Amino acid sequence: MLKHRLIPVLLLQNGQLVRSERFSIHQVIGNPIHEVERFNQWNVDELIYLDITRDGDYDLRRDDKKLRGLGTPMEILEAVSRTCFMPLTWGGRIRDIEQAREIFSRGADKIALNTRALRRPEFITEAARQFGSQAVIVSIDARRREDGRSEVVTEGGTAPTGLDPADWARQAEERGAGEILLQSIDRDGTARGYDLDLVAAVAGAVRIPVIACSGVGTYEHYAKGIAAGASAVAAANIWHFKELADRGGKRALARANVNVRM
Amino acid sequence: MIVVLDYGMGNLRSVLNALQAVGAEARLGTGPADVAAAGALVLPGVGAFGEAMQRLAARGLVAALRDAVGAGGTPLLGICLGMQLLATTGTEHGEHEGLGLMAGRVVPFDFPPEHRALRVPHVGWNDVRFRKTDGLHAGMGEAQAFYFTHSYHLRPDDPADVAGVCDYGIDFVASVERGNVSGAQFHPEKSHQMGLRLIRNWLEGVARA
Amino acid sequence: MAVTYCTRCVYPSSSAAPLTFDEDGVCSGCRTARQVEGIDWEERWHAFEELIDSYRGDGAYDVVIPVSGGKDSYYQTHVAVKRLGLKPLLVTYHGNNYLPEGERNLQRMRDVFDVDHLIFRPSRDVLVKMNLLGFRVQGDMNWHNHCGIMTWPIQMAVRHRVPLILWGEHGWVDLGGMFSLNDFAEFTAKKRLEHDLRGYDWHDFTDEGLERMGRPELKMGLTAKDLQWAQYPGDEDIDEVGVRGIYLGFYEAWDGNRNARIAQEEYGWEPAEQPFERTYRRFSNLDDMHENGIHDYLKFIKFGYGRGSDHACKDIRLGVMTREEGIAMVRRYDHVKPRRDLERWLDYVGMSEAEFDAIADTFRDPRVWWIEDDQWVKQDIWGGCSAYGPVHLAEDDPRRAKYTRGA
Repeated sequence: MLKHRLIPVLLLQNGQLVRSERFSIHQVIGNPIHEVERFNQWNVDELIYLDITRDGDYDLRRDDKKLRGLGTPMEILEAVSRTCFMPLTWGGRIRDIEQAREIFSRGADKIALNTRALRRPEFITEAARQFGSQAVIVSIDARRREDGRSEVVTEGGTAPTGLDPADWARQAEERGAGEILLQSIDRDGTARGYDLDLVAAVAGAVRIPVIACSGVGTYEHYAKGIAAGASAVAAANIWHFKELADRGGKRALARANVNVRM
Repeated sequence: MIVVLDYGMGNLRSVLNALQAVGAEARLGTGPADVAAAGALVLPGVGAFGEAMQRLAARGLVAALRDAVGAGGTPLLGICLGMQLLATTGTEHGEHEGLGLMAGRVVPFDFPPEHRALRVPHVGWNDVRFRKTDGLHAGMGEAQAFYFTHSYHLRPDDPADVAGVCDYGIDFVASVERGNVSGAQFHPEKSHQMGLRLIRNWLEGVARA
Repeated sequence: MAVTYCTRCVYPSSSAAPLTFDEDGVCSGCRTARQVEGIDWEERWHAFEELIDSYRGDGAYDVVIPVSGGKDSYYQTHVAVKRLGLKPLLVTYHGNNYLPEGERNLQRMRDVFDVDHLIFRPSRDVLVKMNLLGFRVQGDMNWHNHCGIMTWPIQMAVRHRVPLILWGEHGWVDLGGMFSLNDFAEFTAKKRLEHDLRGYDWHDFTDEGLERMGRPELKMGLTAKDLQWAQYPGDEDIDEVGVRGIYLGFYEAWDGNRNARIAQEEYGWEPAEQPFERTYRRFSNLDDMHENGIHDYLKFIKFGYGRGSDHACKDIRLGVMTREEGIAMVRRYDHVKPRRDLERWLDYVGMSEAEFDAIADTFRDPRVWWIEDDQWVKQDIWGGCSAYGPVHLAEDDPRRAKYTRGA
């Protein structure tokens, strides 16, 4: 039967790979092109690249390195896809079908929609009709309010919507989304583990696969996300902190009796 | 020279990238002349059976493929929809004639009652158990995981054509091999090291042919 | 794009370590440094002891400690031997640049800690060639040193089958705050290659590598055999032994001044006898005179700041220096062309100063430098801009175009 997936999320900001904390602090980890092949060789099941750039300024930084930076996100995508022999998702700042088409033509297999889907939910349907539901992920960023309830936040974590994440996930599924990528702003970069209640609420509300993300600090956190109902588990920062994080993550999942591809 | 057929169905770049990554000389081809000139052919594809056949026919590729590949001719690897098109008949949105390079029908998933809740399309990594351990699956052991995304599957008439099977509610055929004609229902170009291994195996078979 | 400066320390936005700035203009390095106060270090020490306990074993050694003989090396070994009772294997890549005091400090470790110590010294001929190639290819004669330090200890861990490597502080956390102190980042091949080695690896410096790079004129006859010490172990080897490099700095608040004090008082460690030309601190980089000298001068050439800034940032973050005092240090040290050290290096590799200046100028970062009246000009942290010496690029060098700024 189908396997549970382990997925690195690589965050791009102004042309650099960054570490993120609570969506507000970003530290530069390096140049995305530098080790694309190494990411591509990780024994993982998919790769997700999210461009979280807020403005259009690309500083390529010091230029005494062997590899130069690349000017645009599309050049980065193309370089990534050249050696990426697993499903590749690209998300961030996708505004219309034409942009989505370009992303697929540069080698992505799926797109992740967030802000634009919230502003205009029909966009999910249009994208699913054009490219197939399996190619459309709706990405949900949730934050706990003071009363403890989760709420969908958009615009890179800056604009609360009042929507309940489970309700929005259900609506996204009805409109044709093939998967949900679920991030928790409170857990992002904190290494405290997934927001398991949030994962369970959203996974319980939809039949499409839910990819849990945000908060992984140890490999043992992954299996808890699966137990809470996620089909796939993702993380960002830990991939930059540990050596051979692919094997470490897979082995921890297997130890917890999760069916994964080794 | 390996020719990857471009007939307007799906993204071919990753197939081309994978062939080049394992050292093959490969290019895109669009017409009968490309088919005739090819040392070996790859037929990829994502989408619906009927539309794909129409597009192939409109480009003169149906006859060209039957001529070149039929009766032990040019080696061909069909991927995903490209494997399904090898069949005699497709049943997606009505009955359609296939390329007829491998006797069989393409049918939708029909789950027994206890698996009614399974979702279609079948998307993700799943184990393929090998019936043939030479050819496409040489050196892979007894089973390996590959990446799938599809709603229909090919059922060959001759069980001897089956190279690998996969369990998703039912056992369905995941890969086929019959002489110079091979097919993978999964995406080797998206199946990481094992996928590249399969492509390398196929190329070695082509070189021996 | 104008260079800006951190409002708390003295780092410029053009820093070699990638910085980000918050809305108050405070850099990621300062932000990470301030985390120190909110951390329960006692709890961390317990977690550290637990982690260490899981590595105590029957093998010949419990831990590999990469040491240069500097104050931090003494402190790491002090922690391992005196506080944790571990049996370490000390390993040193010796790049032939030690000050006499540094050399004595290095040799003393075996005795004062009563431990085994492996010191590896590549041949002088290979080192001279690597100095020249490092400088010509990337403006850094010390590349071999970064590479040796980040490679040879890992080779030894694999060869002697010691899974745990204990590093000191994570340099990229300390300088630029690449990670948070909550990340417990470990040594990775990616960090080594991209950040420590800037993407270059040993095979770029063989004749074949230089050919591939399009710089065949630089060939020096180096082969894979000459550079065995620079070859990082494969993933399978690392995985098989389970090699893992952890940083003490995530488990104990790091303070270089404290480390120097303990090293001096308890173990007779010696600081530099003579002041350095480019910084006020006397207890850093004794293992590598160029690190404070000519290598550091090249950092000023490239990015417009130097060791004076680095040390001032550390001391500002430790609370022992004000930003104004730090700026005074920048003003006094960052631009100094080190005569003693430059001449020593030119003699070592056999290069003229004119050639040095001409090659160095090709590495100027156009975000920092521009040309006015045939002088190199840059912004200053104290306001305005100043000229820092003549341009050595030829009159008709097309690279000059990068450095013209509209009036």
